[in-house]
Amino acid sequence: MKSETSIHKWKLTVTIIVGFLLLFISFVASLSIGAYSIDFSKVLSSLFVQDGSKDEAIIETIRLPRAVVGMLIGASLAIAGAIMQSITNNPLASPQIFGVNAGASLMVVIGVVLFPDLAPNTLVYFAFIGAALGGVIVYYMASTGGGMTPVKLALAGITVHLFLSSLIEGVVLFNETSTEDVLFWLAGGIDGRNFGDVQILLPWTLGGVVLALLLSKSLTILSLGDDVARGLGQNIGLIRGTSAVIVIVLAGVSVAIAGPIGFIGLMIPNIVRTLIGSDYRIVIPVSALLGAVLLTISDVLSRFIAFPAESPVGIVTALIGAPFFLYLARKGGRTA
Amino acid sequence: MKWTLRILTLAFILFLAACGSDGDDSATGSEDKEEGADTEETTRVIEHEMGETEISGKPEKVVALEFSFVDNLASLGVSPVGIADDNDKERIIEPIREKIGDYTSVGTRKQPSLEVISSLQPDLIIADMKRHKEIYDQLSEIAPTIILPSLAADYEGIIDSFETVSMAMGMEEKGQEVLQQHKDRMEELRAEVPEDEERTVLPAVVADSGYYAHNMESYTGSLLESIGLKNAIQSGDARYNKINLEQIVEFNPDVMFHMNSGEQTVVDEWEDNELYQDVSAVKNDEVYQVDRNMWSRFRGLISSEKILEDAIGYLYQ
Repeated sequence: MKSETSIHKWKLTVTIIVGFLLLFISFVASLSIGAYSIDFSKVLSSLFVQDGSKDEAIIETIRLPRAVVGMLIGASLAIAGAIMQSITNNPLASPQIFGVNAGASLMVVIGVVLFPDLAPNTLVYFAFIGAALGGVIVYYMASTGGGMTPVKLALAGITVHLFLSSLIEGVVLFNETSTEDVLFWLAGGIDGRNFGDVQILLPWTLGGVVLALLLSKSLTILSLGDDVARGLGQNIGLIRGTSAVIVIVLAGVSVAIAGPIGFIGLMIPNIVRTLIGSDYRIVIPVSALLGAVLLTISDVLSRFIAFPAESPVGIVTALIGAPFFLYLARKGGRTA
Repeated sequence: MKWTLRILTLAFILFLAACGSDGDDSATGSEDKEEGADTEETTRVIEHEMGETEISGKPEKVVALEFSFVDNLASLGVSPVGIADDNDKERIIEPIREKIGDYTSVGTRKQPSLEVISSLQPDLIIADMKRHKEIYDQLSEIAPTIILPSLAADYEGIIDSFETVSMAMGMEEKGQEVLQQHKDRMEELRAEVPEDEERTVLPAVVADSGYYAHNMESYTGSLLESIGLKNAIQSGDARYNKINLEQIVEFNPDVMFHMNSGEQTVVDEWEDNELYQDVSAVKNDEVYQVDRNMWSRFRGLISSEKILEDAIGYLYQ
């Protein structure tokens, strides 16, 4: 027993150290790589010394907010995914599979079309409503007929996702003025985000993260199954309700700022659990760390697709994530 | 997401095709009788992007599914009966609206209504390669259809399309005449640009969600290049590129033509940023707001002349 826990501790330490190292590397890469070429030494020095140069202005007003938005959204999506996987006890659960992203997108698109002058911080509320809507429909559909199996969730999720997406297409189709803009947004991207977006994002993300950490102990118990959790004196209804609110806030605000970026909420919690086990007190913060890493790296990679023009980061996460989803579905199918 | 759309579109089209086929037959039947009187020799084969189409006589009821074809028809002095105008008559630019008079809207360019098109009983449909390739068969059932590049064409491609349209209309001579006039006018306009013009230009659609730059191969870009105004973006696989302030700083255009889409745009956000104020065009006060309908959507002979007149007006007067 003793040696097992020490191996576990050792693994956790390594994961966290490597995670922070990767976060630092991807952060620096995000500041260094772009259409406008800046010396690497200049990038590093600009973090500490102000000299009022153009290079510095580009790093501080364009690349830095973009990197910060990427880290916040990556962390938010990963936590949202971890919570969903815990409360449904289902490794395929994630904001995308659960229709949360599509629901939030639909409401944001409707908001943009109906009220073109809405400020972005109001759009966040539209996203919350949509996220709740999508999530509730999928949850309801997947749990009818006795228990939610991975297959049922995937089916219900994809069906609702497609249904909501076709509604989005419909709204877009009848409003051609804004088509290109909306289509680009629908792929999910964080290019061109500024400190205004960081300000909108920060309070919601921080609130969500803190709540998630407070809830993490209960989530660990819940992932053992409802009966065990009830036996251990947990208020299951309260845990689920709070979890749903956190997911809606984290996923909703992400969609409002960056569009529906997929697969991060699916992949990261699964990877984290494989690495360090399923104690959610650890899974949640480590998911946040690795989620931030994945989205920042993906965003750097997205800059190369149509260089020097921008491509949506959602393309990169889908490219990595879709094979991962198939792998999980196969693995789940074998054990079930 | 794309698939849903495709399947829905397909279902919709099949439904329409099933409904429409009876009506169509009788329509073409009566037409045949009418045209029967016309001599066989007026029948000609027009080659286009999707193959060959036989057209007889002079088509009188023409439906245009892209604005550039409306421009082409207007140049030939023909008024189309139906236009895919995105349900917004304002999108037809003033000089062309005057020429063509009344028409029926057949819906959006992206999703034109086959039912309305069919009800107009056209004898020629002109459609765009990129947007309407997939409904070519359905359109052909309604009337002879030719598919030409418009959305993805550069200025040269637009001229080629005009020639095809004039042949399809049985107005080749008139077409050559109009084209010659256009070319003369273009020469005049070119002469107004000094030989040593070195400023780079950047036309772009400016929306709330981003800055969509048109590079040297885009229609607007290639048109401006044709009179000696070099585009600031000489690279990129796509003709329309979403770019950020960072890329604008890098390309540093000397003149910017902004086609605004919506009240708020990304440029409003950028205006406070020193980097934007330092871009050559902004520093020298050479940022011009231009009409998106004219500058980007129309892509025809008349609009090409108007764009260049606009540009020259801003740059040299």
